[in-house]
Amino acid sequence: MPSIALLTAYAIEAIKQGSAAVGLVSKTHVVLAALKRNAEELGSYQKKIIKVDDHMGVALAGLAPDARILSNYLRQQAMSSKMVFNRPLSLSKAVHSIADKAQENTQSAGGRPYGVGLLVAGYDDSGAHLYEFLPSGSVLEYVGAAIGARSQAAKTFMERKLEDFPDASKEQLIEYALTALRDTLAQDKELNSANTTVAVVGVDQDFTVYDDDDVEPWLNLLDSLANTRNTALKEEDDDEDDDDNDGDKAASAEGQTATAPAAGAGDSSDSGTQPSAESESMDVDP
Amino acid sequence: MNHDPFHWGRPSADTYGEYNYNIAHASNADRSTSTNSEFPRMHTQQPMITGTSVIAIKYNDGIVMAADHMGSFGSLMKLDDLQRIIPVGKSAAVGISGDISDFQYLERLLDDLEIEDSYDMESDNLKADYLSEYLTRVMYNRRSKMNPLWNAIIVAGFDGKGELVLKHVDLLGVSYSSPTLATGFGNHLAIPLLRKKVDSEEDVKKLSKEDAIQTVKDCMKVLFYRDARSWNKYSLCVIEKSTQSIEIEKDVAVEGMRWDFAQHITGYGIPQL
Amino acid sequence: MTSIGTGYDLSNSVFSPDGRNFQVEYASKAVENAGTSIGIKCKDGIVLATEKIVSSKLLAPGKNKKIQTIDRHVGVVYSGLIPDGRHFVNRGRDEAQSFKSLYKEPMGLEGLISRLGYYVQAYTCYNSVRPFGINAIVGGVDDSGAHLYMVEPSGVYWGYMGAATGKGRQAAKAELEKLDLPNISCKDAVKEAARIIHLVHEDNKDKDYELEISWVSTEETGGVHKFVPADLLEEAKKYAEEEAEGGSDSDSGSDSDSDEEME
Repeated sequence: MPSIALLTAYAIEAIKQGSAAVGLVSKTHVVLAALKRNAEELGSYQKKIIKVDDHMGVALAGLAPDARILSNYLRQQAMSSKMVFNRPLSLSKAVHSIADKAQENTQSAGGRPYGVGLLVAGYDDSGAHLYEFLPSGSVLEYVGAAIGARSQAAKTFMERKLEDFPDASKEQLIEYALTALRDTLAQDKELNSANTTVAVVGVDQDFTVYDDDDVEPWLNLLDSLANTRNTALKEEDDDEDDDDNDGDKAASAEGQTATAPAAGAGDSSDSGTQPSAESESMDVDP
Repeated sequence: MNHDPFHWGRPSADTYGEYNYNIAHASNADRSTSTNSEFPRMHTQQPMITGTSVIAIKYNDGIVMAADHMGSFGSLMKLDDLQRIIPVGKSAAVGISGDISDFQYLERLLDDLEIEDSYDMESDNLKADYLSEYLTRVMYNRRSKMNPLWNAIIVAGFDGKGELVLKHVDLLGVSYSSPTLATGFGNHLAIPLLRKKVDSEEDVKKLSKEDAIQTVKDCMKVLFYRDARSWNKYSLCVIEKSTQSIEIEKDVAVEGMRWDFAQHITGYGIPQL
Repeated sequence: MTSIGTGYDLSNSVFSPDGRNFQVEYASKAVENAGTSIGIKCKDGIVLATEKIVSSKLLAPGKNKKIQTIDRHVGVVYSGLIPDGRHFVNRGRDEAQSFKSLYKEPMGLEGLISRLGYYVQAYTCYNSVRPFGINAIVGGVDDSGAHLYMVEPSGVYWGYMGAATGKGRQAAKAELEKLDLPNISCKDAVKEAARIIHLVHEDNKDKDYELEISWVSTEETGGVHKFVPADLLEEAKKYAEEEAEGGSDSDSGSDSDSDEEME
């Protein structure tokens, strides 16, 4: 039997099989954006963003059922905070409550670690927050975060635009988030109202999820819905691409090497030959 | 509400058999009938050592609250140095009347809450509105178990936005807010005096801090005159919104008392000279 | 470790023929490469400090605090697996809470560390669990004064006047030994802590780090565990940088340090 520590490492791999989710914070708002997959053309798209309370919600990458268990737990915590203190659950308390649950599974046998990564977004007494939760029980606060397949591309974009986020308006922040998400697309894919989901929360703004027709206005903010980075990469040959590539491979070494022997800019097949963590096949463009 | 079970009416003797009067007593040790299983489970039926009124009034920039330092065992003065207004966190003060052992239990509950809050080393999250909600839940849960904490509580302080909070919570888990609040005898003796100054939120704007303190001091004097379970040493809590400060002064004495009229009182059992 | 691969290292609770528990030793490995943490016992309390390696530009600056509070008067800092550290701290809080509910007074440091030692040791005894991957420095002030302890993955703990763990522990220990412990004041120790963390980070210069310092002092915090105020932290950082520049020839630098401490 593999050791518990090894299982945790495998659990983190499960996240990389899931489609990407990104999150961004300004002084006043947090935005989540995620790429949905459908198992088959006639099937529905897998939900990627789950509302927890009026002031918080999560985006997931990895095993969706595990995410439901965790978000359900968060909902209970949030309700109990409302019931006992009439106080919205603080983001830091929320994420650490699931972090402590996850840590248990990494230290004792008899259970498996959660196979899902979460981006937890919310607005509380101390402002706007974005946390990344991992099955290892690690929880870190970010100003911009991305998890899931090819998320390194989104991180690269965000690192470059870092200074613009704090003072961005809600609309600008959503645009940045969608651009970051677009960077994670495989070469023949596009963002569209069926596969894109956006959520926003902030000052005087309850956690709101935009899907389908509702997400259309946000997509219109973008000049292109395809991954411009893919084409750009081929033309440019400066250091930046190399960094991206390295990052991609380094970050998801195990996930990618099996299927993609160093194919270009980490835009190789979306682990198509591996069983998808969200029990779906590859993205199918309508 | 009247807490004496004899006032609650009783099941008809025809239907339910003779009423067992032992039920209304706190102890079932001296009951004349049967075994434990036939006897209802009993919890606190009356407070033991008690603290009397807590009073509070809002003024244009805060709240003034007071409670005396006595713990009574029936009509015996058991304790004379009991501080019943306690600070909780940086944004609240809580004044508690009623059973003193239950008060001490609440004190520990609030202290645990304070420690848990200190785990977050960067911010103070224990706001007065959260505290009053918490205390309401505690009181309501206990009364729902037919085992109430025999207290009436006044919570005063600030919410997350720095606005004033003034709330009353009692042993039934009922909570309400008003610009003037009192517990116990204070409801009968102090509230009319306080309402003379502040009858509505509108009047709050017209009352200065000095006047508010004076009004509360006058009320404490009237309470000491007329409430036989009160004492002339009390804590005075002054909350100021503009500075977000909460100050609790101990051992404030009732001033300017006149007892010379007492020699003319007759008819209270002891022959007067 | 010639026994690697012989199977004795796979399971907790199994001794190798030469009497070692490899899982515990592996847990210590997790600590050896982690960011450095130190604790200093002073005349009026204790100071904790840690080097937080910034692994990504996207991490929110100044957040993700690593130093934690077990009780009002007890602080903890650890090097190793952060989730394990949180587990450890949660246990400490439970211990302190149950002690207080029973005895109605704050738990003493000696009693607390003893209970935590038992708890950590238990995770070396069963093959259904793995040991804690942390070295935790626990410090605070109680009725009998200031105390500083360090617990290791094996469950062993010792009292210290100056404790260091993590990657830069050797260099940090050497620096701690030069201080006048435990006669130093907390205020001075904060500056020295900043200097030591800054110094041991030199070997790891390619990565940025954030400095976190907390204290429990009868003089400065009324016996309560708190982060040091922002202005003092800045002052300490400045001092650390000046010392690093001025005394790159480490001998002269450290000499002047110890002179200061003696006065």
